[in-house]
Amino acid sequence: MSAILDIQDVTVEYSTGGTIVRALDGASLAVRAGETVGLVGESGSGKSTLGSLVGRLLPGNARYPEGRVLVDGHDVLQLGVKELRGLRREQLGFIPQDPISALDPTMRIGRQLELALRGLPNDRAALLGHLERVRMREPERVLRLFPHEISGGMAQRIVIAMTMARSPRILIADEPTAALDSNVRSEVTKLVFGLARDAGTTVLWLSHDLRSVGRWCERVAVMYAGRVVEDGPAEQVLGSPTHPYTVALAAADPAGVQPGERIETSSVDVAALAASFRDEEEVVAR
Amino acid sequence: MRLLHWLPGRLLSAVVVLLGASILIFAAVRSLPGDFAQIVLGPLSNEEQREQLRQSFGFDRSLPEQYLLWLGNAARGDFGLSLASQQPVLDELASRLPVTALLAGMAMLVTIAIGIPLGVYAGTHASTGRGSVAARIVSTIGISFPEFVLGCLVVFLFSRFDLGLSVGAFTSPTADFGRGVVSLLLPALVLSVFCVAATARTTRDAVIGVLVEPHIAASVARGEPKGFIIRHHVLRNALIPVLTLTATITAYLLGGAVIVERVFNVPGIGSYLVLALDRRDYTVIQAGVLLATAVFVIASLLIDVLTGLVDPRVSVAKKGRGA
Repeated sequence: MSAILDIQDVTVEYSTGGTIVRALDGASLAVRAGETVGLVGESGSGKSTLGSLVGRLLPGNARYPEGRVLVDGHDVLQLGVKELRGLRREQLGFIPQDPISALDPTMRIGRQLELALRGLPNDRAALLGHLERVRMREPERVLRLFPHEISGGMAQRIVIAMTMARSPRILIADEPTAALDSNVRSEVTKLVFGLARDAGTTVLWLSHDLRSVGRWCERVAVMYAGRVVEDGPAEQVLGSPTHPYTVALAAADPAGVQPGERIETSSVDVAALAASFRDEEEVVAR
Repeated sequence: MRLLHWLPGRLLSAVVVLLGASILIFAAVRSLPGDFAQIVLGPLSNEEQREQLRQSFGFDRSLPEQYLLWLGNAARGDFGLSLASQQPVLDELASRLPVTALLAGMAMLVTIAIGIPLGVYAGTHASTGRGSVAARIVSTIGISFPEFVLGCLVVFLFSRFDLGLSVGAFTSPTADFGRGVVSLLLPALVLSVFCVAATARTTRDAVIGVLVEPHIAASVARGEPKGFIIRHHVLRNALIPVLTLTATITAYLLGGAVIVERVFNVPGIGSYLVLALDRRDYTVIQAGVLLATAVFVIASLLIDVLTGLVDPRVSVAKKGRGA
């Protein structure tokens, strides 16, 4: 089985006012078609950079000194503007963290949906069909509303409808439930994975929430300091982690802690542990 | 629909603004130095003649009384007789209004036709260094060049050299519209330089601001082409600050018309008001300034309505503030 997404030893640097910040430092990840992969790691670990990299959607000050990103065999970092646009349109789907700001504030939902579905059937019946597919209540009314008049959960359903309308081959969801109320999180998560399964879409699910990752993803990849440090079946990575950072991350997961219990970790310890692990790696390599 | 919530409040506040402005105008005109009777009758008139003239125009009554009388008549559309020419002020203003309206309209058209495309281009090409520096320099010069300097320069160039357009030969647009437009071309261009520069810069900044918004990134991620994103998502969002600027430009055009009409010898409202000021022609000054205020208030109101239509969040915010 060949990988539909193959990130090979990629380094990404941002240059900001003379200083260079390395966001990815030799990250590698290969995903087979139809897999659901949870990408976990603390803020700044490079999750979002890795996710955006798949569509070459990083800001203009990003540089790619090393590595390749292959989507279905196409080298994303080498594609021309037109091919890249086609790839984003036909093969990739992105779901952002904050759905309301991902919608044009001056345009009614119906019109935005219509524009996003350009090239597909986008008459009224089709629009309503897409809203019903994401289980939107009162779809007729929603079509006439503006983004500031709907809730975060509704906005995320609309973004999901726009994204899944083209049945992308790879879906990159960057903490899609982080900005939502806790009571709609599980619904939205279920919706995304359900639609992805029906369409045969590969899912790259970026999250802090280890519990939902463990529940919905077959595979988990852990990122730390710009690298994928652990990667394997979800129950193995989360159940018996080998990398000290994953151990710390799993222990720090507030969902696994009883109410009133103290969370046993601090990020300083995590950094020290990971650094020692890296030294061991080098020793082994010699 | 949303409009109905705040429009009555805005209309009411417009009326209040006009009323306040009328008091200010009346007070300002009456506190001008120089006695009207003295100017009209000349230095050789005696006190008796002057008193008689003042009485015939009602200047012997108290100021509040004069104001209420004037306001009552003005509300019925009667602005009285010009003190200098003895003609109804309304007729004199009405005969000059088309000239100034055409001049301002042409300048506004040039502003929109050049300023907005220029700003959109500069905004969408801001990342490519040289173009943006050039746009900055041009707009800075345009904004800081006073129109009387530019006007005098244009008058000099076009009267000294044969450049195809004549200066000072004015044709009334009501008599011959086409030739009227041609004769106002130079003044309109001079008047529009500042507005083009200001509009281009505001549009550029607005476009740059919209381009970094997450919903644009979302469109890019959906694989939409650049032109499509600019047409459907950037222009409309960037239009909001530009619309606000249009209200300021309207005020500028009214003020700038006074200077440009003077420099180019155009018989519009602006040059008429300057003349009236020289003659202490109270009724004309009062009516003219009130007219300018009314135009500005109406323009602001129109732009508020337009902004509400372009950006649905605005009308909500206005309603929330209780207008």
